[in-house]
Amino acid sequence: MALFTTRRSRRFRLRGTRNLRSMGYFLREKRWLIFAFVVGILLHLAPVPDGLTYAGKTVLVISVVAVILFVTEPVPLPAVAFMIVIAQILMLKGVDSKQVAQSLMSDSVLFIMGSLMLAVAIVKQKLDKRLAYLIVRMTGTRTLNVAVGIALVSGLMASVIGEHTVAAMMLPVAIILITLTSDDPKKVRGLAAVLLFSIAYGCSIAGIGTPSGGARNAIMIGYWKEFFYNGDEATKQYLVSYVDWIKVCYPVFLAQLPFVIGILFFTFKPEHKHLTRAVVKLRTIVEKEGAMKSSDWIAIMVFFATLLGWIFFSSEIGLGTIALLGAVTYMVLGLVRWEDLNTGVNWGVVWLYAAAISLGIQMKDTGAALWVADNFIGHLPGGMDSGIGLYASVSVLTTLVTNTMSNGAAVAVLGPISLNMATTAGESPLILGYITAISSAFAYLTVIGTPACTIVYASGYLKTTDFLKVGWKMVIMSTIILLAFAMFYWPAIGL
Amino acid sequence: MREALFTDDPDAVLEEGPDRFNILICIDGSEESKRGLKYAVKIGQGNDADITLLYVRPLDKGMKSGVGLARQNMVEWGIELPGMRALKIARDQLIELGFLGGDWKEEDTRKRAYGDPVGDTMKTYTDKNGTHIALKLMMAPNTAAGILDECELNYYDLTILAMHGRGAKNVRGKIKWSTTRTVVTEHHGTVLLAREIEENHGHLICVNDEKSIEAARQDAILASRCQCPVSLLSVAETEEQLPEAEEAIAKARAAIEGAGVEVVDAWTEVGNPEEIIIERGKDFSVIVMADSSVKGFRRFFQSSVAYYVLQHAFNSVMIIR
Repeated sequence: MALFTTRRSRRFRLRGTRNLRSMGYFLREKRWLIFAFVVGILLHLAPVPDGLTYAGKTVLVISVVAVILFVTEPVPLPAVAFMIVIAQILMLKGVDSKQVAQSLMSDSVLFIMGSLMLAVAIVKQKLDKRLAYLIVRMTGTRTLNVAVGIALVSGLMASVIGEHTVAAMMLPVAIILITLTSDDPKKVRGLAAVLLFSIAYGCSIAGIGTPSGGARNAIMIGYWKEFFYNGDEATKQYLVSYVDWIKVCYPVFLAQLPFVIGILFFTFKPEHKHLTRAVVKLRTIVEKEGAMKSSDWIAIMVFFATLLGWIFFSSEIGLGTIALLGAVTYMVLGLVRWEDLNTGVNWGVVWLYAAAISLGIQMKDTGAALWVADNFIGHLPGGMDSGIGLYASVSVLTTLVTNTMSNGAAVAVLGPISLNMATTAGESPLILGYITAISSAFAYLTVIGTPACTIVYASGYLKTTDFLKVGWKMVIMSTIILLAFAMFYWPAIGL
Repeated sequence: MREALFTDDPDAVLEEGPDRFNILICIDGSEESKRGLKYAVKIGQGNDADITLLYVRPLDKGMKSGVGLARQNMVEWGIELPGMRALKIARDQLIELGFLGGDWKEEDTRKRAYGDPVGDTMKTYTDKNGTHIALKLMMAPNTAAGILDECELNYYDLTILAMHGRGAKNVRGKIKWSTTRTVVTEHHGTVLLAREIEENHGHLICVNDEKSIEAARQDAILASRCQCPVSLLSVAETEEQLPEAEEAIAKARAAIEGAGVEVVDAWTEVGNPEEIIIERGKDFSVIVMADSSVKGFRRFFQSSVAYYVLQHAFNSVMIIR
């Protein structure tokens, strides 16, 4: 048959076309990279604005290009991190490779590295079935209670370890409950949405609970120390400890929890009020695991020892050191292999945060952050440039940015600006810092907003429009609660 | 199972096996892809056709660390990945349509891909006549890249993508217009964009030059596999070009009838080719067009009649190469 005759003649066309198929394909795939570079070149050629130094303008140009690349991802994000490093060395006068290399490593970066390793180590312990058992024992079979149980357990865990770890562990629990209720996804759409969003949003609202809940928290703690601590008593308040953070932020997480469940039930209206059949089957599955083994107990003890280390010693030796210590302990005790950590950790994330933090420090050193902060405040309408108006403005700005890129990157980029805004407006850098860090968790609107959202979306049960449908209600609720805490609770505890 | 189907080495596939009619259908779980599959079965009837169902899941890019962990966890709990669920629904459809029977040999393969231990997954069914049905869940940087990788590594006579609605919208499915456009532009083989496909209304083959006449002959052979009637259309942009259009119809008719396929109808018209083809094409199952004459770098900036029709037609469009 004639249609078959071209089979062999294609061989030479196939070779070499796999990665770079054609110039048109390359240009289409890299259109955002080209756009970012064109924007960068145009901004670089533009005159230096009043009040900004040449170095400051250069840092802003690098930041704008980096943000476009963060959001559009035309190249792997670690490549963007290395571009930031190279651009700093080549474009900033008086900055050499040694200085940039030094600025890449800080306690925040060590913490990110350590917590990513801890996450893999914890997932490898296969404690998710135990968690499932705990939830169904605690909640019974009522859908509302199961959703509360899932959100609460996800939240409690995500407040101390990375949310992607928790979401990865909880996802099978929710999917099992959904599939055991009905094989037909159309018959359990509401139920699936409620259970899956209970995981995602439970993790999102809790990630701000403690410094170890997410990279953004460690980044903000690092910025406070870098920008404001001079080694004297007067600036010691900017050395924020693990417990200080918990006092300020944990109640914000707990206050949001009941509202999350309410919004989810109101929006998705699950088809089943009781999950008796599914819960009974899930119990049977998890009971097959048998009793806890000694290695399970050791793994739990190592985790709690790490948590205690963060609480009691992080002010002295740093969050990062304790996270690394925890990860090393798992390896030393043979609870996780290096090969598992090496393949399970996304090392590119570490580089990306390192480069973003390094750029944030350059923004402060060159005065670029201050210039942006002054201009942002200058353009705010009356009443919005101080007090609760400014808090709301910073929160909205952070929410917009965090919905388009990772919350850690959002804090790394916006942190120096919001801290300078506080200085300009005569507000507390601590309050605006907390508002930036907490608002970066309001990435409810998009699938890519947080790792937890991406993970529950990967289950295949949710649509991208579901995130918008419920996300805007979540944003409003979280913003109101945050501002209420900033107005009433934080002053009451002396912040 | 043909291990070669799962290799990265193009030669491995190109060198082996007897000539068979290979159909690739891209599954996204939508109703449209189900309809596209039904059409694939119709074309693939007989003992010489293999069908591959492909679901592409995009790589976890950038900061989405944890999705890989979650997938691994799902597999360890015995939960099927979402793509495999869609593929199995499509497989059940093949059983309902009688294409896949009970005594087929079944095999599973999993291969690490892009550093993800869950990686690519394939389930193959082989019957005693050597007919293969493969369910492939592949990882790729994006859906279009996955489909193109698969097409480049394993020769397919026909690649079917399914979309709902005209233009750039496909609200129901995961295969978007940007995916379709990239696949059609970069693919070296024949692509059918199945859009609300109705089976029994025949193929409308559009001809204007030598290349389109060869395409017409190829499609006629394809249409004969599913007993679809074949009609011809040639559009002249001006009255002066009408004789050329009539000549193209005559040559195409001769080529098709030479291949043993009957031409039911033939028309020549004067006017805007895009509008006339789309309007005439409404009454047919598939509008068939030759590959665009616009190539490579120019294609990035320029459109062609074929690509305009592909995007704006109400029904299915096949681009023949």
